[in-house]
Amino acid sequence: MELDALNALIDEISGLGATLVAVSPQAADINKAFREEKKLRFDILSDPGNAVAHQYGIRHRLPDDLTALYTKFGINLPEFNGDDSWTLPMPACLIIDAAGVVRHTDINADYTIRPEPTDTLAALKTVL
Amino acid sequence: MTLQEKMDAYKKDFLTKVPKEALKVIHRATEQLANSGLVEQAIQVGSAAPQFTLKNSSGEAQSLSGLLANGPMVLTFYRGKW
Repeated sequence: MELDALNALIDEISGLGATLVAVSPQAADINKAFREEKKLRFDILSDPGNAVAHQYGIRHRLPDDLTALYTKFGINLPEFNGDDSWTLPMPACLIIDAAGVVRHTDINADYTIRPEPTDTLAALKTVL
Repeated sequence: MTLQEKMDAYKKDFLTKVPKEALKVIHRATEQLANSGLVEQAIQVGSAAPQFTLKNSSGEAQSLSGLLANGPMVLTFYRGKW
């Protein structure tokens, strides 16, 4: 849902001279299939073990009762992500300027709350 | 519909399908994370974005500096398709 919503704004983002990139712990082949299925017009980068998410301070490990529940539901993260860590990134949307400085962050511990892409676009305009 | 409206509709549907016990586990995990202080410790505005090189879905290595060569970047961290 979130990537679809961002995809809808890709022309405007590119029009502003910016790049849109997603980072996910999923294996590259899963990202590829997903990208094709959703016809996403931006790259998804594979972040094994959430090592980069960790550098950005947003990696967290799921508690054991939750990992047991996910396994029961067929959400087999070790299989999708190719590692046993049961870690995930907190949903986060960052804007980084051309000098490599973080200019905007939208990070939430509640994964059911996602940055509104139109808000991200508005924030991007202030960064240019 | 905004993204949040779509997500709220999905969440409403989800809540009707998932057993109460499971919802408790999920809710507790989210609460724990919110109380852990991780959000406050995460990267802040004004910091230098840590360098990285990761493979895209075609197997090509993409570096942060390469991606920033032509302008700013919107970087979104995505949990997964599930």
